[in-house]
Amino acid sequence: MARIRIEPGNGLKSVESIKSLRGTRESLALTDEGNSFGSDSELNGYTSERQTDKYGFIGGAQQYSEQSAEDIPPEVLRQREAKWLEMLNNWDKWMAKRHKKMKLRCQKGIPPSLRGRAWLYLSGGKVKREQHKGKFEELDRQAGDPKWVDVIEKDLHRQFPFHEMFVARGGHGQQDLYRVLKAYTLHRPEEGYCQAQAPIAAVLLMHMPAEDAFWGLVQICEKYLPGYYSVGLEAIQLDGEILFALLKRVSPLAHRHLKKHKLDPILYMTEWFMCAFSRTLPWASVLRVWDMFLCEGVKIIFRVGLVLLKCMLGSQDKLKTCQGQYETMELLKTIDTRYMLEGFLVREIIELPLSERDVEKEHLAQLRRWKETRGELHCKSPPRMHGAKAIMAAEPPSRQDLRQNPTIIVESSLATNKDVEGQEEDKARIKTKEQKNGKKNGTPVASNPEPSDTSTKPSPPLKDTPLQGSNQSLISTEHDTYL
Amino acid sequence: MGDESYNFVFKVVLIGESGVGKSNLLSRFTKNEFNHDSRTTIGVEFSTRTVQLDTATIKAQIWDTAGLERYRAITSAYYRGAVGALLVYDITKHLTYESVERWLKELYDHADPHILVMLVGNKSDLETLRTVPTVEAKEFAEKKGILFMETSALDSTNVEAAFQEVLTAIHKKVASREVTRGSISAVTLSSATGTASEVQEERRTCCKNL
Repeated sequence: MARIRIEPGNGLKSVESIKSLRGTRESLALTDEGNSFGSDSELNGYTSERQTDKYGFIGGAQQYSEQSAEDIPPEVLRQREAKWLEMLNNWDKWMAKRHKKMKLRCQKGIPPSLRGRAWLYLSGGKVKREQHKGKFEELDRQAGDPKWVDVIEKDLHRQFPFHEMFVARGGHGQQDLYRVLKAYTLHRPEEGYCQAQAPIAAVLLMHMPAEDAFWGLVQICEKYLPGYYSVGLEAIQLDGEILFALLKRVSPLAHRHLKKHKLDPILYMTEWFMCAFSRTLPWASVLRVWDMFLCEGVKIIFRVGLVLLKCMLGSQDKLKTCQGQYETMELLKTIDTRYMLEGFLVREIIELPLSERDVEKEHLAQLRRWKETRGELHCKSPPRMHGAKAIMAAEPPSRQDLRQNPTIIVESSLATNKDVEGQEEDKARIKTKEQKNGKKNGTPVASNPEPSDTSTKPSPPLKDTPLQGSNQSLISTEHDTYL
Repeated sequence: MGDESYNFVFKVVLIGESGVGKSNLLSRFTKNEFNHDSRTTIGVEFSTRTVQLDTATIKAQIWDTAGLERYRAITSAYYRGAVGALLVYDITKHLTYESVERWLKELYDHADPHILVMLVGNKSDLETLRTVPTVEAKEFAEKKGILFMETSALDSTNVEAAFQEVLTAIHKKVASREVTRGSISAVTLSSATGTASEVQEERRTCCKNL
């Protein structure tokens, strides 16, 4: 169970809507430091002081604390947003010619307002969506194999249950989760559903609408982590062995300890890798890891694992405290928060000298070993793509596929003097702002003027045009950014 | 973990279909907690609790893992060294009871043949939604030579009792084998009892085999 530290007064806002939730849990108590939540020895029912952090987590879940998140000054954020918008508008050029710079920007952290969009582009999900228009809709309409539907339904209320998006049973978040996971089982009936796909889909849904999340999931399951969720779970076992082998070089002490106590990698790395650390790290760190993971591929996941193992088991005095297999497992279940903090962890990840080549080399070695001891693999997964560039190179998109399609187009007489590029940027800016303002409290998104026009009445010189696709409600299939 | 001294460490695994309540049985027994929306188990979860039996102090190491079919592939490490198993089904979902036979087979394929098993019908608080008659399950358990109990992790009914019974039964089997705190993390079920020095010898071998 996670340890939670709740620091009052760091931008938490209360959520009154929690009061109206249908009964989902026995008790949700704001407890003091160190206690596990969900204890029924505490309050029954809800209190109205349930507070949500800036990521949407309630009551300090997912280890939110003042120190854990890096706060970027608004001017810097604005600059980054502008840079990212420019990259998104010229995606293929950036990938082809300035990939190093792009990688650096991913390492710095994608601005929250553009994260969903950037993830969709990085993963190649955007391209897939354009190339298969109507596909998701088609899958969405179908009922789904009852065998999978049954299991998926059991899991809907068990993913990030303390996140405001998923807390309500039968709410929009859980509905969308259902749609995405069901669609995948129809898209790949031979694969079906694997429970670890739910948290992956949930993380995506926190940043983009169902259709986009679906394609993001497809890409992760097929390009980044092929075979992870397939029958036999061979890929994850293999990666466990690879992780352990790589550890020898990174921390011989940790490696020796795990070997001595015969701790099978499956016993500690399964949840880490299958959920891409979304259930392990404080949320700020999850987002930073995913920014890099979607850009650079699985080596980032390996690096996180290696850093955590090194930190927890890499010194004599740490090892003194774990005398046996069980004690070691317990230690790895309760990773010291300071090793998971955004600043520290990201630095360690970037500095760890582990390349794709290292991963692939060890992969071959472990594959050979597997064949010798366990015979042929039952499930031959396609080779994995090590990041955004590789994915794009394998399936080059057309310019059309990469085009950003704003959901709100505002025609303005004021705009006639500006050049086309300025107009594009304006549209994008308006859209972003509107998403932030409109979607947050569920009011219909109006084609509103920019902040400088707030002094005027709600009939600005800008002409309203019919929205493309969006039906101006919470249930939008177009770009949504939960912040 | 604590500094309580104990005579034995027993590893007990929770198995059964997804959603029957394994994780909540674990949390109820070891932490006296229950959560309607506990997260899906992925990988391995575990917790311990030290209990006092009539003649000994037992440190129960309870392991919990994903119930989904797919995860069967990675469970051999999970079963290693387990001396007891709680095979859990949901009394309101007959399908989860129907797969009990398959779970037993899985258990005997991967775990120690002498492992002590209890069939657990969980969610007894949902009596009105029952689809598995108590009598039927009880008879099945008897036929298979395994223990049986119905529990509710939600309202705590019989959770203590179930674990107590399993641990007591294991203790009976293990008899005079003793371990010291720290160096050994599990006990095996191979029979030999002997003098102190013999036990010492055997203990070292047992460790190596883990």
